Amino acid sequence: MDLIKQAAFELQNESISAWKKNNNSVVGYTCSQVPLELFYAGGILPVRLRGVGIQGLDIADAYYGPFICSFPKAILQSMAEKKLKHLDGAVIADGCDSMRRLDECWRRASNDYPHMDLPFFHYMNIPRKISDHARDWFIDEIQQLQTALNSYFNVSITLEDIQKAITIYNKSRELIAKIENLRKFNPPKISGSDAFCVSLAAESMVPETFQQQATALYDHFLHHPAEIADGPRILISGSAYDDIHLIQTIEASGANVVGENVCFGPSHRINLVSEEQPPLEALMEHYLLSCPCPRMFGRFDYRMALLKETIRNVQAKGVVLQNIRFCDLHASENGLLERKLEKEGIPCIRLEREYGSQTDTGRLRMRMDAFLERIS
Amino acid sequence: MRPEIQEYPFDWMLHKSMHIAFDSLKGSKKEYQYMLNYMPYFKGLMDLLGKYDEPGILFVDMVKDAVDDIMFAHDQGKKICMTTFCFSPIVLFAMDVVPVVMEPLTVLPTILWKRGTYDFMNFCIEAGLSETSCSSQRGALGAYLAGLCEPIDFILFDSGGVCDTNANVFAFSASYLNKPIFQLDYPASFLDKKTREYQRKDFRELISFLESQTGKKLDYDRLRNGLEETHKQDLIISQIDEYQMLKPNPMPPIFNLFMYAGRFLATSKPGYTKLLESMLRTVKNNADQGKSGLQSGKEKCRALFCYIDHYSSDARMWNFLDDNGVSHLGSILSRFFPDHAPYLQDEDINSGYHIQLNSLDDMIDSLTEINARSPMVKSIRGPYDTPYMWLEDALSFARLYQADCIVYSGTPGCRNTWGMVKPFARDTEKQGFPTHIMYSDAFDERVESFETTSLRLAEFFRVRQLI
Repeated sequence: MDLIKQAAFELQNESISAWKKNNNSVVGYTCSQVPLELFYAGGILPVRLRGVGIQGLDIADAYYGPFICSFPKAILQSMAEKKLKHLDGAVIADGCDSMRRLDECWRRASNDYPHMDLPFFHYMNIPRKISDHARDWFIDEIQQLQTALNSYFNVSITLEDIQKAITIYNKSRELIAKIENLRKFNPPKISGSDAFCVSLAAESMVPETFQQQATALYDHFLHHPAEIADGPRILISGSAYDDIHLIQTIEASGANVVGENVCFGPSHRINLVSEEQPPLEALMEHYLLSCPCPRMFGRFDYRMALLKETIRNVQAKGVVLQNIRFCDLHASENGLLERKLEKEGIPCIRLEREYGSQTDTGRLRMRMDAFLERIS
Repeated sequence: MRPEIQEYPFDWMLHKSMHIAFDSLKGSKKEYQYMLNYMPYFKGLMDLLGKYDEPGILFVDMVKDAVDDIMFAHDQGKKICMTTFCFSPIVLFAMDVVPVVMEPLTVLPTILWKRGTYDFMNFCIEAGLSETSCSSQRGALGAYLAGLCEPIDFILFDSGGVCDTNANVFAFSASYLNKPIFQLDYPASFLDKKTREYQRKDFRELISFLESQTGKKLDYDRLRNGLEETHKQDLIISQIDEYQMLKPNPMPPIFNLFMYAGRFLATSKPGYTKLLESMLRTVKNNADQGKSGLQSGKEKCRALFCYIDHYSSDARMWNFLDDNGVSHLGSILSRFFPDHAPYLQDEDINSGYHIQLNSLDDMIDSLTEINARSPMVKSIRGPYDTPYMWLEDALSFARLYQADCIVYSGTPGCRNTWGMVKPFARDTEKQGFPTHIMYSDAFDERVESFETTSLRLAEFFRVRQLI
């Protein structure tokens, strides 16, 4: 659990250090639509870029304007503060407008902070709709990334390598799903914050190391359930979110967080990539067609159905619809979700917050207390 | 929303306002002066329109017709499509569909009505939209979400991949209003074969969507006529563009608004051609006399608006520029990139679109290429400092039009430009163009009053010794 917690709470961890010690490369990526199997197929460790643990945004604010989500700002700040020294490269995907401008801000900041100038820097352009030509475009983007990795890291990624990587990452997904099942008990056998650590760690560790750790953790909680009191079962949904302190704040109010429908969470993690289809098709289906992010315009009904299924699966009694300030995609979607879910008798609370742990714990605690009073 | 606001349909109020403005401008000087007593809140705007006689009247006439078309579309058996300013409406007109373009419909009441569109903007928040989303749509959208307009039939937008906040508003509206929706999606790249093929396929899907919504096939002859008229309009715009390069600039600042409002509401319509012809006569006349288009006739400074304009109540920004001797060299909204545009002679800016009329396929390709160069769609779809994108465009315009400075005006909802406007401004400064970033909201004076905005702008002009 220590290694998993370290990977969840910190940007650097022992798994990455051990990987680097063997002269292996690490590439950071910004969005859950980037196919991480591709990197691992080339012997490169993909690590989701995050900005936890920073104390301010002074450097990032010199490049980004004021009306911008604090998540990409925090990544930029972490990079400028030399907290992501393990990176050999980065892939910026155009997940949303704030995130895609990380490309320019990062490149410009590299002029002022030369250590930010990574030798491998790639921009990935992902369609915002689903159509035959969007599928072709996405596969072509995967191939372009493959070519770029081959060329810079002097590797030769084959379809067989990708197939193997899919199998490896699917094993991680199956483990996450098993651990998620422990949350379905009433009371859950594992706390929300511990379970969410597992999802976060999966994106920051060498998969084989993660699997060893997660297996041990699963066995532990299966046989020695955490002592958790009965409390309202809460699902968290919305913007990109990797802040375990928010879950801890909610759980400290007496609720049990039993699921996360966010792009760092299990809902984006437990679906397997098909091992039957040709690998590039399989990656496209998983990362483009199944993407539950509102950046895919015109797919609200699909996302609504997914959310309702998750609510049913985890038996949530209330839903926290959170968004980072200036994340209009989730903030507006939350407005629609709240309206529809409340109509169906599922209590919701909308929370706007800043990225970063404990930036406004007191305010959030007060609002959560009020919400729990309503649904208890 | 306050009950009294809900008593009056939004489009009906706009329709009445435009008719009153038109009738007033058409009256005798004496009648017009008398009418001004009854327009305490938009006297400045009326004066601005009145100053230019024919172009002012033709502008109001064109907008009046566009609003009337919305009001009576269903009576005439036409479908209504909610769309955005960066979607060229040529194909809609060719299919007898009436566009409801959110941004111009926000601008008009913002500059015309005392309370602007605040009540409607607020209603969007009531409906669930984030208050940080773009105000350019929210002004009119609130009225549509509240059911205070002729209902729309379907939604079409082309900002996927270009502007999330724009696209998000339309996706939200489709779910809220339960209407069919179609989006054109744009890659971050611009001129390569793969991108063009993607856009080509996307546009053909759009035609199928329109045919399914209207129950009609795309009419070859109507489309041909529309494109021919568009070509005619483009040629006039190119001439005006060329005149703007002269020193002093013979074009009055408000003509920029006329030019792009017409493009968004009435491209391919004869009313827009008439307006452009009249504008060209005024501009040419000024140029022949070596006169500036400013009322004072004296140009002290030439400002390029690198993004959009500022739509304060009573259109005070244009009067502010006029009063201070600042010539407006256009914005991202007033450049459309036909292949004959004078700014395409500069090697930094690649070739524009070419309207082809040989076959239906050619014409659809032309529409695709026109749309791919719409304001915003062309220049902010990719990283700002890559070829053909925002920085290259802005610097080319600044050089060609001999700008003394660059001004950024936008909205806090514009995630896309706020994501990189600081490095952008540093780059333009490095190239020798003093650059001012306005932190106001172009459509909502509650964010920053026009008094503050204009003071800051005046300070910029003064401190940088531009006027």
